[in-house]
Amino acid sequence: MTHRLGPMQTLPSPMRKFADHDVVDYCIVGVGSAGGVLVQRLARAGFRVVGLEAGPFWDTEKDWVSDEKGSHELYWNDLRITGGTHPLALGANNSGKGVGGGSVHWAAFAPRFHPSDFRVYTEDGVGADWPMSYWDLKPYYELLEREIPVAGPAWFPWGDPHGHPYGPHPLGGVGDVLVRGCTKLGIRSVAGGPVAILSGSHGDRPHCIYRGFCLQGCKVGAKASTLITHVPDAITHGAEVRAHSMASRISLREDGRVEGVLYLDREGKEHFQRARAVIVSGYAIETPRLLLNSACPGHRHGLANSSGTLGKYLMAQAGNVVAGRFEELIRLYKAPPAHALSEEFYETDPHRGFARGFAVQTVGPLPVAFAKQMTAAMGAWGWGMRRVMMDYNHWATLGVLGEILPWEDNRVELADERDQHGLPVAKVTFNLHDNDKKLIQFGENKVMEIMRAAGAKQVVQESRFAHLVGAVRMGSDPSNSVVDRFGRTHDIPNLFVCDGSILPTQGSANPGLTIQALAARTADYLIKQGDAVFFSNRRDLTEPGIRYDLSPSYTRFKGNPRIA
Amino acid sequence: MTFVLTTELERSANRALPAPLSEAMTSILEHLREGCFQRSLCLIVSVTSVASGLEVGYEHYKGSYSNPVMYTPILLSGSLAVAGLLGAFSGVAARTALRLISIVTLADGIIGFCFHVRGVARKPGGWSIPVTNIVMGPPLFAPLLFGTSAYLGLMASYLRREEDLNRVGDKLGEIVEAGSSDWRTNLRYGRFQKHLSFVTVLWAFFSGFEAMYSHYKTNFRYKAQWTPVLLTPVLIAAGVGAIKSRRIANTVLPAVSALALADGAVGFYYHARGIARRPGGMRKPLYNTLYGPPIFAPLLFAACGFLGLMASLLRREKR
Repeated sequence: MTHRLGPMQTLPSPMRKFADHDVVDYCIVGVGSAGGVLVQRLARAGFRVVGLEAGPFWDTEKDWVSDEKGSHELYWNDLRITGGTHPLALGANNSGKGVGGGSVHWAAFAPRFHPSDFRVYTEDGVGADWPMSYWDLKPYYELLEREIPVAGPAWFPWGDPHGHPYGPHPLGGVGDVLVRGCTKLGIRSVAGGPVAILSGSHGDRPHCIYRGFCLQGCKVGAKASTLITHVPDAITHGAEVRAHSMASRISLREDGRVEGVLYLDREGKEHFQRARAVIVSGYAIETPRLLLNSACPGHRHGLANSSGTLGKYLMAQAGNVVAGRFEELIRLYKAPPAHALSEEFYETDPHRGFARGFAVQTVGPLPVAFAKQMTAAMGAWGWGMRRVMMDYNHWATLGVLGEILPWEDNRVELADERDQHGLPVAKVTFNLHDNDKKLIQFGENKVMEIMRAAGAKQVVQESRFAHLVGAVRMGSDPSNSVVDRFGRTHDIPNLFVCDGSILPTQGSANPGLTIQALAARTADYLIKQGDAVFFSNRRDLTEPGIRYDLSPSYTRFKGNPRIA
Repeated sequence: MTFVLTTELERSANRALPAPLSEAMTSILEHLREGCFQRSLCLIVSVTSVASGLEVGYEHYKGSYSNPVMYTPILLSGSLAVAGLLGAFSGVAARTALRLISIVTLADGIIGFCFHVRGVARKPGGWSIPVTNIVMGPPLFAPLLFGTSAYLGLMASYLRREEDLNRVGDKLGEIVEAGSSDWRTNLRYGRFQKHLSFVTVLWAFFSGFEAMYSHYKTNFRYKAQWTPVLLTPVLIAAGVGAIKSRRIANTVLPAVSALALADGAVGFYYHARGIARRPGGMRKPLYNTLYGPPIFAPLLFAACGFLGLMASLLRREKR
């Protein structure tokens, strides 16, 4: 049976298998956005790599359905406890389960962070500075934009202005609304990207056909996920991706170094994968949960938590959705949800009375998601809901993507409840602070203004949150951060964290591209360090220098790549 | 004595080529110089209008033929191809049917241009964000480029036929009409170098602009995508120079035009390769041609080079 990834791609077979008693070089926990890139890079560089993934290894032709309800298995649906003054809805848009992780169902918006995002504390006196600058990450942004590849305008005017390797997508009705509204108000906007969806075909991946099921897992294979961009190459180069393997704890040797990962297979049987180094890439909830669950003598409050910041400074982005009803047809479902945006309000503006800013983006909920939003936005119910839904094709939706600052009281802890494996589950506390509330208020009003300028007759809005980063903060000071600038924990020299959880601040950009760029950079660092990671406690913080020879095949060529 | 391209070509053909070839070359050049190439130009019109008809056919297919007017260029290019073919066989057809259809097609190109300008205006934001909407909207100058073969057809309809070269009546006629600077007479006797140089400039601008924004759209992913953009101003300068100076028309213009022609040919190869490299490759020719790089677009740029080359082989207008 061939394992299919999209209509044209098949998974390389057979996949190499390591036995539990084999000592691998790297065990990577979580094969999602970051994990997929790490597995691929390290395998290509010749390391023995195992990726443990709690969810299934998707066969896109068999497992995925182009249906809103049928796609709930793409999310992390295990028990989690949520709380705080503004509890986050956990599940759909901020988690992923299965190889590819969240990148399987992301909207694939792929803007870069701005240079200012890396120095928020220096510039605005709030949040934190990154232990690196934008310019350290820039070559990786460029490389990953080619590998993914990202389609978008040839000129993206905000932050560090740049172009994109693939041409822009044609606009759908919602993109039209955004561009029209923004132009009317004199706000600059870009159309057709940046989005990690193919506007022209690429190797064995066909281009987008604008059928609208991006968030349900793209069966076309046009939308990038590490499942189809990096994992096949990893397997070709001898990595093993072990699905249905739920990591339960990371165990330490007596010398304080990591020995391997304990995990539960599909039947609940416990295994132990020995590894010379471990990288945790479980995203903002599962990564701190695993580290907290791995508490042991010497690390009583969780692994690598000598600073006490593990699980703290969790961030979500304000994701308010503004919906407007138009006389003409919009057809929300057509085109990728992500295809036009404005970052005109991204940076701090002292006149606005709050620090940092937000982006305005298109969103394109399908009917079920839209109905949920309308319940919240206008209290639609019963017959009223039917009336609204009959008009589905007349509604356009734009999203605010606002930066919420990292606060110590927004955190992931362990709850008393246990999941089906008997492991303590995560308890997520989330509160909004004054600056965040002002920002959301301003952003919401601005987007409603754009919606009206575009000609909407009726405008409503729903408050929600999008993305989830932070909680295993990266920093140069071991007393207030968990990992260093390359994702290595300050406390344990062969334990790394590399995923969205290490971001000190989040900007108003969707984090997917940045997570993958960080993973590629960490991989270059690990490859440069070589065996020193496994045997030495010395911490070398020099930049590794980017490697251009580790990209998956098909991406080294410019333009339309060769198939063969 | 100034350098005259045709004389030099004739001389070197006589020197270097064996007799039958050099004679053929001489007579081709003579036909061009005297304006006696109606049949050949009619055939060229026929072939180019098939190419541009196919181009506009799939481009408008992508636009779903949402406006019935989008069918007109398809119908007209078909008619033009037929008229060109007829014109190759019959001088009457060349002077009547071909002329009429060429004029209508040219008018259609101009009307199409207006539609495309309106199309850009109708995009969200309209002309207040020109870069975005020219890139995302209908190809602005494509309808005018579509007129290339029609313009050639119009010119062909005023030319003399190949067999008229040595006709006594025509010889006398030329002497009688020698003083005339009427454009029809100029065309008739192959004296329209400046005219054709001007047309080259115009078309170079249109196709260069097309190449620029469509290559800009994909962010100049291949370095070769810069070549038409960089060649265009050179070709325009050469064309303008050719209007002013006979020497430039005989030296720089043919050199640059040959480059443009070669560039168009290379571009055609790249575009065809781009199509072949798409998933399915040549097994899905129709689909991949529709959604791949526009296969005939580089030939439109090559057509500018062709025009320039032709201009350099003609005689200048009588003052």
